[in-house]
Amino acid sequence: MIERFIHHVKVELPAPEEAVAGGRVRLADKFPRTALRRMTHLGLLIGSALEGVSLGPDDALVYATAFAECRALEDFLASFPSASPLLFQTSIHPGGVQQVQIGRQQPVGRLWPLAGRTRLVEQAWLTALLEPADRVVLAGGEERGTWMIETGMASDKAFAFAAVLTRESVGAAGRIVFNPGSTTDEPCPALDAFASALRERKPLAWQGAGGAWALEWR
Amino acid sequence: MASMSALADQLPAGIVACDCLSPFGGADATAAALVANRRALQLTAVLGRDGGDQVPLALLGPMDETLPLRWLPALRGFAAGIPAGTWGTAREPVIVTSSNFGVGSLYAFMRDHDVRHMAHGNPFACVELLRREFGWGEQVHIFSHACVTAHLGLAHAARLLHAGLADRVLVFSFDFVSPFVAGGFHSLKILNGAMPAPYAVRETGSIGLGDGAAYAVLSREAAPFQIAAHAFYNEMFHFTSNQPEGTGFTVCAGLIAPTVRGRRVWVKGHGTGTLEAGRLEAEAFARDFPGAPLTGWKGSLGHTLGSCGLVELAITLAALRGGRIPGTVGGLAPSFTGSVALEPFACAGFDGAILTSNAFGGAHAAMLLTHD
Repeated sequence: MIERFIHHVKVELPAPEEAVAGGRVRLADKFPRTALRRMTHLGLLIGSALEGVSLGPDDALVYATAFAECRALEDFLASFPSASPLLFQTSIHPGGVQQVQIGRQQPVGRLWPLAGRTRLVEQAWLTALLEPADRVVLAGGEERGTWMIETGMASDKAFAFAAVLTRESVGAAGRIVFNPGSTTDEPCPALDAFASALRERKPLAWQGAGGAWALEWR
Repeated sequence: MASMSALADQLPAGIVACDCLSPFGGADATAAALVANRRALQLTAVLGRDGGDQVPLALLGPMDETLPLRWLPALRGFAAGIPAGTWGTAREPVIVTSSNFGVGSLYAFMRDHDVRHMAHGNPFACVELLRREFGWGEQVHIFSHACVTAHLGLAHAARLLHAGLADRVLVFSFDFVSPFVAGGFHSLKILNGAMPAPYAVRETGSIGLGDGAAYAVLSREAAPFQIAAHAFYNEMFHFTSNQPEGTGFTVCAGLIAPTVRGRRVWVKGHGTGTLEAGRLEAEAFARDFPGAPLTGWKGSLGHTLGSCGLVELAITLAALRGGRIPGTVGGLAPSFTGSVALEPFACAGFDGAILTSNAFGGAHAAMLLTHD
């Protein structure tokens, strides 16, 4: 069995109509003014979810997003033939979480950005559980696209989450557990379902990647 | 600075098979071309058929994205060389590493307004196409951390193996240049009309971009070539520039250096051709690996982006088998440090190599390759 205990948990679930401009207003006090005007919606949401979590060179950060900065992608594509250098930078995976950490000027030892979809949660958990760092931050989310939603290339909802995982059971709110042994691949919860489970303290369980997975709460 | 509790991963993984695809061909042909000091980079319109400035690109064919995908036939042929296995199962998972995936299809959609391009436009959709093409199962992990991505895939593979969760791991990497990415780097002015001259002291820096793909099959079993250690560090100072004092390079070199343990190594650096990063990298590795030759191949192949770590690993193995390590193709004297190897050198007497990559956000990765 491999396990990690959940300490800090925060989920950002903005109003469905919120876009980046609204996010900047709502979350303005959480970011340096110079960083705020360049941040994407996903960056803002991730930053808010990571509020109060200071990362350092001894920490590891596992970052999960299927669509990443899809609004920046849309705008970068529209900027051709005079491609925008700023939008190019912010459209690159894993720009969402890098915006936050660069704004804070906080280096991180190891950053593991994942970009799958159907088994993204499972792979992010596995990556976190295999990390030797004492403290692993598991963060992720999506921002809502516009025209790319129609073709399935952008998320139709915005959300973000962050959870601090350690080996310390005392004071933990819950735990993530992997029991190797199973050979079945059951459907894995989607990233937004994982965010909802964190927000509502709901358990999750499935089998995949050669074992049984569980999210448990105290 | 990172404390010593932020140690390098030291989980040795044997390289069962490894190859790459570049405009020169497979790893053996590519290594031979580099030893012969040949450049694959050619001046090409930055936006393909849409024109624009001429910039150095090393391509397997015209870079305009097509339907079906312009790179799929080449990738299909290349993947035929992967050893047989139950790839994509829990015991034999696949790790796909890239920074581009199918992003060129998004540009093609904007140009052609053909919605079929959008089917491969993001990482998971593009990898799903590969999964079906190659008959992989569902256990396909996808990492995307710009130009250090392949290092992450290799390190994660070693963790899976040493946790007893996998018997073999296939790490597969591919990056094909498109107007999307060429236009992006051109907008940053580092992809310009000049050929890259890695580690050279000159007035203006420049990079090239290149098509590349590679794979490695790793196992816990001992093999003639092993990846013995990985080190990572993320500065988070700026998206496109490093801390001016070179802290990131110093930390990463300092993390990987203790794993060498008396081996005689040479260094395959990142060496894109940018000035400040090239200088900081050359200085850091000269400090931590005194006497170790520093070489880099992006002056010929261009930067293969998220795949560069694996492409250059495959070339390294081929070069070691051939007995000569390519010098810094495109490099010029004077270089930032005396350690920069401008000419090929014999691998006799070395029993290890440090391979490094860097990425946006001040990301640093280094691995130790060992051999007898």
